[in-house]
Amino acid sequence: MTKYVIRRLLWAIPVLFAVGTVTFFLARALPGGPFDFAGDRSLPESVVRNLERKYNLDWPLWKQFLAYWWDLLRGDLGPSFRSRSLTVNDIIKQTFPVSFQLGMLSLLLGLAIGLPAGIIAALNHNTWLDYTSSFIAILGVSIPNIVLGPFLIWLFGVKLGWLPVARWGADYTEFYLGFIPPMTAKFWRHAILPTITLGTALSASIARLTRASLLQVIREDYIRTARAKGLRERSIILGHALKNALIPVVTILGPLFAAVVTGSFITEQIFGINGLGRHFVQSVTNRDYPVIMGTALLYAVLLIIANLVVDVLYAWLDPRIRYE
Amino acid sequence: MARLLDVRNLETRFYTQDGVVHAVNGVSFHVDEGETLGIVGESGSGKSVTVLSIMRLIPSPPGKITNGEVIFEGRDLLKIDEEEMREVRGNRIAMIFQDPMTSLNPVLTIEQQITEALELHLGMNHQQARRRAIELLKMVGIPAAEQRIDNYPHQFSGGMRQRVMIAMGLACNPRLLIADEPTTALDVTIQAQIVELVKRLRDEIGMAIIWITHDLSLLAGLADRIIVMYAGQVVESAPTADIYRNPRHPYTIGLLQSIPRLDEKRRERLAPIEGLPPDLIDYPQGCPFAPRCRFAVERCFEEDPPLEKVGPEHEAACWVKPVGQEVLAAWRAAVLES
Ligand SMILES: Nc1ncnc2c1ncn2[C@@H]1O[C@H](COP(=O)(O)OP(=O)(O)OP(=O)(O)O)[C@@H](O)[C@H]1O
Ligand SMILES: [Mg+2]
Repeated sequence: MTKYVIRRLLWAIPVLFAVGTVTFFLARALPGGPFDFAGDRSLPESVVRNLERKYNLDWPLWKQFLAYWWDLLRGDLGPSFRSRSLTVNDIIKQTFPVSFQLGMLSLLLGLAIGLPAGIIAALNHNTWLDYTSSFIAILGVSIPNIVLGPFLIWLFGVKLGWLPVARWGADYTEFYLGFIPPMTAKFWRHAILPTITLGTALSASIARLTRASLLQVIREDYIRTARAKGLRERSIILGHALKNALIPVVTILGPLFAAVVTGSFITEQIFGINGLGRHFVQSVTNRDYPVIMGTALLYAVLLIIANLVVDVLYAWLDPRIRYE
Repeated sequence: MARLLDVRNLETRFYTQDGVVHAVNGVSFHVDEGETLGIVGESGSGKSVTVLSIMRLIPSPPGKITNGEVIFEGRDLLKIDEEEMREVRGNRIAMIFQDPMTSLNPVLTIEQQITEALELHLGMNHQQARRRAIELLKMVGIPAAEQRIDNYPHQFSGGMRQRVMIAMGLACNPRLLIADEPTTALDVTIQAQIVELVKRLRDEIGMAIIWITHDLSLLAGLADRIIVMYAGQVVESAPTADIYRNPRHPYTIGLLQSIPRLDEKRRERLAPIEGLPPDLIDYPQGCPFAPRCRFAVERCFEEDPPLEKVGPEHEAACWVKPVGQEVLAAWRAAVLES
């Protein structure tokens, strides 16, 4: 197993190189450049030239490409063309922890609600409990964050005045190990609404998948065998069906994790969170090449790690899977 | 011998989108203590649904037992509540299934799958249950049982898995073991081994067995009595020797003619039964076998024949009741001549 993990990590190197290469050239293939506009105005030709020279954009492409990797190998993701006082390393350091916290909490909320809800629905298949939870799940999947977020703000922030509505993580940037927040009441008060906003759809899709997967497994021959032994319905579901049913749930958890911890643009915008999600989107519209590269590579790294964790989980869930 | 199981007029239907499937239609039979009953019939004749109804394991919806009684050890299993029924399952009546590849849970060890019934029904603690499980595995002929008990199903061959299934079934010393085509998915040599194993265990433990198969030849040395099912009905019921020597239902005669007999010098040509079984949704009037029957007369298409006594323990549901002994003799002679 250790060998397998090491081999997978070694494989990550060419994968990251490929992602970086494709992103590098795709970004530059986009029409327009990083200095086309400053606000609403376009910059004078000479200023653009100067800026391009400053960031070596006048070099031939192959030279820029090599220079990028050279810097990257030394851990330098380059400057941001837009936020000119910041480097990409600064941006990630400042915004990724909060995005990671939001994503992690939402995912945990999604699992904490979605798994039991899916199990209860499957256990009570075709009863009002099943219909109710399935209905709520469909509702949860289909309400867009852009509706749910403002609604929560209006209800708990404005109307009831219970919770702060914005500026999570604005006051502090120091985290344990770089990303674990202090577990203060203040932190939780800020975290609650965005987490619910992002976590609702996650809970709903996890619940639906768990339910469907369990109902599938319940029809298997070995469940009939378990019934023939005289086991209780509860032991059948929890002891015999669940481990099998979780396999597809775990499969989506990898990509879901990577997607969710790298920041949700909409949720972060609604709650005024200085997260990574914004940079993902805006770097592309701004043609901010180093930020595009940095966020894409970060996403790739997280995806690789998440998928590796998923594969290790597989081996634990399913003894037929053994890696060597 | 004392009566262990008495199934009376059992009727099971499936309410599907295409219509009502008449899977089991008024089936009656009995099993005595320590007796082995064979159930034969081609695919779809309702063998599995019959025994699953006895265990109350029919998936519902769409299935429903619409009529009948299942008297086991003096009480009607169709009337007791689910809690009581669970104490019967795996404890008084155990069941093993056709496909040992899919009937064992792939993610649990053999130990987990055998010990759970022991802990549940016999109240053993984990130590005792594990010891008993190893004993059971040895009993069914699993080599190195102490180590293999911690393996997962995929680490066993098909035959070995079926042995594990049998060990699981016998864990709580059931009075009745229901085996639903337990050897169909296995090679011929492994099949014979499993049959021998079950015979030996039956003689040691003294339980009764219901053995389902569509291979009549398999039951020769195994069953005391045989019932033949067709389209969800019992069409013939007799002691094993009578079924082979003098069958009285055309379908049973047809089944015997389609068994390859390796012991004869010249291999008889096989005579499979022509035609298809009836549609169980649009259940036919008259005898369900009539359209495929060589002996059918006009009455067969109008009235469904009831099971009638043709010998001391021999019953057949047929208006014609051809004498199988003579029919088979004539057929063998004809085959030998050609
Ligand atoms: N869950 C179900 N839903 C609908 N119809 C069913 C269901 N289970 C069984 N049936 C129908 O009941 C009839 C009897 O099936 P059963 O499984 O008892 O046959 P069998 O004699 O055991 O055949 P085989 O030798 O193939 O195992 C078949 O026509 C089948 O289609
Ligand atoms: Mg069957």
